[in-house]
Amino acid sequence: MGLASVNTASEGMQLCIFDLRRGQQEGQELDKILFFFPADLPFATQLSVIGLSEGLITFTRIFSPDAACEVIEAERHSHVFYEAESDIWMVMVVDKSKESKAACQVDALRKVLKEVHSLFVLFHGTMRSMLEKETSGGLIRSHLYPFITDYLSDFLIGRKLQLPSFHDCLMERGTVQMLTVGREAAIEVQSLVKVLECSAGTTSCYSLVLFQDLLVSTTLSPDDTISLFTYAVLRLTPHALSSGATSWSYLQRTNAGSQVPALSTITNSGSVSDNIYRSRDASLDQENNCQVKRPLHHNRWFRGNDGFLASDIWGTDNGSQTSVTPIVYLQLTEERMYLCAYQHKSLTIILLVPVSSILNGEQGLSLVKQQVLENASLKMLMVEEKLSKGWGGENAYHVSGYRYLLVDDERVSRASPPAKVMTLAKESLLALSKLREEVNLEKKRAKCSSSEVNCDKELEICVRAKNGAWVIARTSRGKELYMVLEKASETLLYAADSVEKFSNRYCSGVFSLD
Amino acid sequence: MKERNTTSTLKRILVNCSSQAKEYGGCVAKKVPEVERDMCLKEFLALKNCMQNVCLTSVFCYIKNFSMSANASSSQLTVGLSGSGGLSHAYVQYPPLKCNLPGSRGLYYDDANKLLLSPTSDQVFSWKTVPFSPHVAATADYINEGPVLSIRYSLDAKSIAVHRSNQEIQFFQRETRETFTHMCKSESESILGFFWTDCPVCDLVVVKTSGLDLLTVSFTSKSVNLVETKKLSVNWYVYTHGSRLVLLASGMQCKTLTGFQLSSVGIVRLPRFEMVMAKSDANSKPVLAAEDVFIITVYGRIYCLQIDRVAMQLHSYRFYRDAVVQQGSLPMFSSKISVSVVDNVLLVHQVDARVSILYDIFEDSRAPISAPLPLLLRGLPQSHTGRPVNVGESLDRNSSNHELMFYGDDWTFLVPDLICDVASKSVWKIHLDLEVISSSSSEVPSNLEFLQRRKLEASKTKQLCLAITRAFILERRPVTMVAKAIDVLVSSYSHSVKTCSNLKETKVDEASASVGTNASNSSRSAKDESRVGVGDKSFNLSASDSDDQSREIDSRDLQKSGKENLLGAESSRGEVQSSSLHTQQLGLGNNQLNANNSERQDSQLTSPAISPDEMYSCVFVPVGEEIVGDPSYLVAIIVEFLRSTNSEKIKVRPNIYVFTIQLLVRYERFAELSLLIINKVLEPSKEVAMQLLESGHQNPQMRKLALDMLRQLSLHHDYVTLLVQDGCYLEALRYARKHKVTSVRPSLFLEAALASKDSQHLAAVLRFFSDFIAGFRNTPEYQDYFRILNEMNTGLAV
Repeated sequence: MGLASVNTASEGMQLCIFDLRRGQQEGQELDKILFFFPADLPFATQLSVIGLSEGLITFTRIFSPDAACEVIEAERHSHVFYEAESDIWMVMVVDKSKESKAACQVDALRKVLKEVHSLFVLFHGTMRSMLEKETSGGLIRSHLYPFITDYLSDFLIGRKLQLPSFHDCLMERGTVQMLTVGREAAIEVQSLVKVLECSAGTTSCYSLVLFQDLLVSTTLSPDDTISLFTYAVLRLTPHALSSGATSWSYLQRTNAGSQVPALSTITNSGSVSDNIYRSRDASLDQENNCQVKRPLHHNRWFRGNDGFLASDIWGTDNGSQTSVTPIVYLQLTEERMYLCAYQHKSLTIILLVPVSSILNGEQGLSLVKQQVLENASLKMLMVEEKLSKGWGGENAYHVSGYRYLLVDDERVSRASPPAKVMTLAKESLLALSKLREEVNLEKKRAKCSSSEVNCDKELEICVRAKNGAWVIARTSRGKELYMVLEKASETLLYAADSVEKFSNRYCSGVFSLD
Repeated sequence: MKERNTTSTLKRILVNCSSQAKEYGGCVAKKVPEVERDMCLKEFLALKNCMQNVCLTSVFCYIKNFSMSANASSSQLTVGLSGSGGLSHAYVQYPPLKCNLPGSRGLYYDDANKLLLSPTSDQVFSWKTVPFSPHVAATADYINEGPVLSIRYSLDAKSIAVHRSNQEIQFFQRETRETFTHMCKSESESILGFFWTDCPVCDLVVVKTSGLDLLTVSFTSKSVNLVETKKLSVNWYVYTHGSRLVLLASGMQCKTLTGFQLSSVGIVRLPRFEMVMAKSDANSKPVLAAEDVFIITVYGRIYCLQIDRVAMQLHSYRFYRDAVVQQGSLPMFSSKISVSVVDNVLLVHQVDARVSILYDIFEDSRAPISAPLPLLLRGLPQSHTGRPVNVGESLDRNSSNHELMFYGDDWTFLVPDLICDVASKSVWKIHLDLEVISSSSSEVPSNLEFLQRRKLEASKTKQLCLAITRAFILERRPVTMVAKAIDVLVSSYSHSVKTCSNLKETKVDEASASVGTNASNSSRSAKDESRVGVGDKSFNLSASDSDDQSREIDSRDLQKSGKENLLGAESSRGEVQSSSLHTQQLGLGNNQLNANNSERQDSQLTSPAISPDEMYSCVFVPVGEEIVGDPSYLVAIIVEFLRSTNSEKIKVRPNIYVFTIQLLVRYERFAELSLLIINKVLEPSKEVAMQLLESGHQNPQMRKLALDMLRQLSLHHDYVTLLVQDGCYLEALRYARKHKVTSVRPSLFLEAALASKDSQHLAAVLRFFSDFIAGFRNTPEYQDYFRILNEMNTGLAV
């Protein structure tokens, strides 16, 4: 048994990563494959999937060199394409089961691919750079396999991979969720952030402050913020640490039950993969394999006595017994940064310190940590207190009568709490899922046609679902609002009125134009 | 006593001159026991030099304790007065007020009227000491011949009372020269003294050995009427008008004291209390003398200081309405002690040691605020400044070669801040040198706190505070430390804003302020302070015709501050010019600011509190120019400033937000900036939105934020104009219709529609305006575009 067997049995999905620049000679096709899930699939099957994908990419590139194909809808499968780095493609093949026909959200699946890639890059740098470092491909294969299986284990519900479906259409992967704070608290937070930066001694360090699973402050670039925020919510926040508790954040819906099989399957399949890769890549030596770090490994982070989070994922320092601090890569500058996470109750603070600024590794870092504690611990207590005083709990952003998703600039989102979304009827969700596909299509078209006009597409769609619910989408100046009104009365006017009210009240009137 | 004295100084010296001391000590140790004259002279001179520098010309460095040569010991005293260039925390200004008159029979000080009185055989001459001016002319009043024990003008200055003998007080009316005499009734009691009072029930209080007599004085009936008697056996008494408090000493040791406060709100009897006196041995019973007790008023609180000669301590007591609480003790380094209060700073003059120690007893701290240093003489005429002035040197050749002795026996310290040199008949006013005091303190936040409490010379203090803050930030001290300093400044400002209104109220109805001794005191002291403040101003003015040094310092400071203002204005204007959109507006704001500044500097300030605007123009802008590289440190400090103002609920003008945006944009910290905007840390305003738009060229996100801000601020016109600029003319039209924005020219929309080359859109816009604006169809604009539209349509048809 193991993840592999589970998946082949349930024929859930296939995920592959391949490099078009490799294996161009006949007989070397296997060299292209950087990752394939499930790994125990015969190479012939793997190659046929990749071959089809490659063919389609090459074909569609004739018409659209910049953006090759995005999706193939076959009768029983959907192929979702994502070009993670130039010529490195990630393809996900999802079975269309009868009930969820045409209901899988292609865009949501692509965002899964994007998310796993950005997380990988966060910890290992780009795949291309890794391939350049070690041309045989053994290094990247040995890293990708545990990384992605660890990532996928988050989607395990029972023994089944539960990929994003129409149920999840009121959430947006790859965005951050912000905590709304008052001015006073915001100033306190900023003051804390500044003290943190200054106490680290160098000017070029960054910080990320989270409260519960929500972002409070960031000094990172938007892309880095998203990937680090994603990682924090997956593994670092208090919810993520206390793995037994169920979280209300969409990013981690694994429950205690799913953890055990996930872990066991991973270890099992890991050995399977080792066998596979070792049989193929004789060059991959044992030493190298041991050094593979698994940042997404479950239950490996814990809160130290000093309040800083520590993990044994990266091993322990030889001299002292302290665990090694992980290093992350910033996307924009490709700077290498130490990741220090501090936690006080619900407050999680991530401090990124440039590797280049710390001379003597862990020792220097512990000095920085000490300084942070000295200068900022009082402030952190105060900020935590202030934020938790102002926090409305898990359902803080619930608006009764509405089920909504608000996306700002494709980076920040806010949605009705998942528990509330669960109360919606299947028909409503299916309708909304369909509507979102439409909107995405429309958005893409607008982007293609009016690339020189910087005015974003204005859009307003109201759909009456089969069950009588109003399903509404509005976009305005880069902001998107999706909404399901099940208890709204008959008329469109009424529905529009409700949206207007919502917009005025919670979005400072962004969506109310008439 | 001297032992104690020197050890503490020694410690200080040894810290600073340890290497020299070591060398000298090593040298002596080598030669011991053959001690001889001029031994180790070289090392000694090095040490001496160092010590002189450390002590800032302090006499307190008893150099002679170390000196092995006669030369060194003679140099000791020159150090104390090494001319006008020397540094000291407190100084007196040359020239003094001369009260030298032929036939003078002594000098008296009337602290209620702040008059210096000098009776001659049939006249009394008076000099005003507030405002203090060395050139004030004496006024003369006629009194009868006779002995004078003390002399005081009534509070309305209409009459004079002269204490003639133990039994007799004589009254003179100044205008009518009427006179009458008040005698003690019984022979057994004698008059110790008297004072005028503004107490509602009586005019005059006579202190007798048998107690207090409260009297009213009537010149019409030429008599005094007894209102009330407080029976009490009195040995001696102490009174200051500033505190309205009379302390009556009784008992064998005179250490049982009873206090009465006779203020305009009535008479308060304070509980009887005992002074603490240490005994040298079991049987000795030291007697407390009147000279050993001082009443001082600091920050509107009344304290009593009492010398304990055996314990060598100066005990302090604080008076409350219903209690007297001992507050702790100050050390004594001299058997003769005197105190002054200058600008709420307590100066304890250790007369024998020839130094003064400064205390700021605001928060029960007993630590001196600076090293013990002597008073300094400043502003000597040119002929003297060439060389250091010896104490023994004559200062005024006209004054019959009388010698000025600093801390001499002739010095009498008058309440609160005057020194009377009885021998030379000259009066000096003590000033504080805040610059020196603050430069000797390394703890900037507490130093600023101290400075912010100073009310005299407020504008000078303010400039000093600004300079200190600037330097503190430029030195890149830890943010937490700077935050503390900023907290001090902001809370002081908020306090001054709050008390401004309170002050007026208490002045209006002083009677209602009878809540307690504290309240009434504070109101009174506030009044005193404001009076002093005004006086100080005119002192400066009148001093301007003599070229003394303080004026030079003043003017230099003013110039400096002026230049700084100019700099600030220039810089901000420069920045504003870069942002073309709102040059006018901000420029205006800046000019106003400067005008305000100079106005405020002209009119005497009553408080050195620094407003947010001044923080901006005198701290942040100049610092922003000088700081190179990453601005995050400065932004951190601005955030701390905002936190501070927010917690004190002080409004901040948008220019500081605009400045912050400029800083962050310059280094492309857009993530932080958008957070600051979204969370309204930088509060939304038109200026902020415009600055964001300016940065929108570099980052479209900023432009979006700016647009959102404009919409939220309901600045419809700007919002619509910007939408049209962005090419979103249809959206702009919808918005214009909803909010009835008619101020934007239709041609803008039409041009935008035309640019899109969409005839349907153009038609729609045209149609919209003909419906929206009455009479639009008749304008040439309509005609033009109608024609263009027709051409487009025919073109399409073809």
